[in-house]
Amino acid sequence: MFPAHSDPGPNFVALLQHLDIAPVVGGDTHLSPHATTVVALRSDTGVVLVADRQATSSYIANREVRKIAQADRHTAVAISGVAATGLELQKVLQLSFEHYEKMTDDVLSLEGKANYLSSFIGRINLQGPGIVLPLLAGFDLNHNRGRVFEYDGLGGCYEKSDFATIGSGSEFAEGALRLGYRDDMTIEECIELGALALYEAGDNDPATGGPDFVRNLFPIIVVVTADGFSEVSLERTREIFEAISARRAERQGRAGGQLR
Amino acid sequence: MSMPYYVTPEQYMKDRAEYAQKGIARGRSLVAAIYDAGVLLVAENPSASLNKISEIYDRIAFAGVGKYNEFHELRQAGIRWADSTGFSYSREDVDARALANFYAQYLGVTFTEGGKPLEVEILVSQLGIRNRPTKLYHVGFEGTITDETRFAVLGGDAETVKSRFVQHGDDITDLTTTLRNAVGALSGPDRNLTPNDLEVARLEDLGERRTFQRLSDDFVASLLS
Repeated sequence: MFPAHSDPGPNFVALLQHLDIAPVVGGDTHLSPHATTVVALRSDTGVVLVADRQATSSYIANREVRKIAQADRHTAVAISGVAATGLELQKVLQLSFEHYEKMTDDVLSLEGKANYLSSFIGRINLQGPGIVLPLLAGFDLNHNRGRVFEYDGLGGCYEKSDFATIGSGSEFAEGALRLGYRDDMTIEECIELGALALYEAGDNDPATGGPDFVRNLFPIIVVVTADGFSEVSLERTREIFEAISARRAERQGRAGGQLR
Repeated sequence: MSMPYYVTPEQYMKDRAEYAQKGIARGRSLVAAIYDAGVLLVAENPSASLNKISEIYDRIAFAGVGKYNEFHELRQAGIRWADSTGFSYSREDVDARALANFYAQYLGVTFTEGGKPLEVEILVSQLGIRNRPTKLYHVGFEGTITDETRFAVLGGDAETVKSRFVQHGDDITDLTTTLRNAVGALSGPDRNLTPNDLEVARLEDLGERRTFQRLSDDFVASLLS
């Protein structure tokens, strides 16, 4: 029970500070920051996120990392940067939204969630430059459309009207997205373009893992619509990447040709 | 110089208990019952936004009767306790018995030492899984915990409501029957409660991590008709 003047309210991070339970905040790790590619595409009916699964140091440390997490029923949060801090951030964020919901009997607005993440990033990145950079995307029930937010290292939050990318492979992914994105895309088209952008990043950036047909490991594809958060099945994801790969094989690996 | 009155400890406790009971008796009652797939919570509550029943954690619900601001504070303290415990250890380690003890301790201390006893009664219910049983812990205004086996009634008219509810037998039934019995017990023979007058929620496994759901007026109406 807190006295009224120091009550943390529905804010979970404030509660943790009161209780002196500090979330992990980054320091030096040998993992090179931002060795990742995540893309998020917006469409009127929702958002699509695609992320590679590789954790890179001077070698490949892990091939199965899940960089996109469900923050709540209608929100996804993806991370790049120091793995430990990023994963902790996802956990705290998810708990924060749930905590708010239970404390107030009300769901935080998508903009509210994006702003909450801002202050959190600002605090984490005070410990070192750009330890973690996230992407937040979801379906805004109050305004009935998909929305995508990206961040700078100090916690600045920028809403994107089309797409956002984070990680070392961003440049390559962004190239594909710039050429392929249209305003009136369906979710299915967003999935295919997002997968292609990720394929490009995996192809060119040494710290981004592309599709791994040998181990049956593929980038994770997530869709958030009015119906909520869902992950595209492994079979479907495999099909999508097999199709891209087959098109490339036809041209002996030369770039160009079809965008989708 | 004036002398302070001497009050025997017995009288002191009696007065405080009477005070708390009076406050609780002013409010309407609430029934919690185990049914074949979970726990059902039914409260008579004309307000659609000032809730008596709410979610604490994945498999734990809270219900309170009496003074709203007082059980609201207890509810929030419970959510904080559960979320910070789950964060520090694991979601599996958040247990209703520990939470009920936390409440009992707070209510007990406030009853004997506080400025005024809290005019509330609360219920902590848990939907069982593996090593954790389905439970209803009833915590009184003075901090006594009762582990209720099949159902619990909280609030002013508890004894009457209880006797009406047990008329329907001892068996654990399905959601619809349990809801009808609970509503019948709350309303009594002379009144008719509509879904509008009720706040209904349940804990049931429907494939999600969070098992707490509020039942909409329409859904309650369809079950009652």
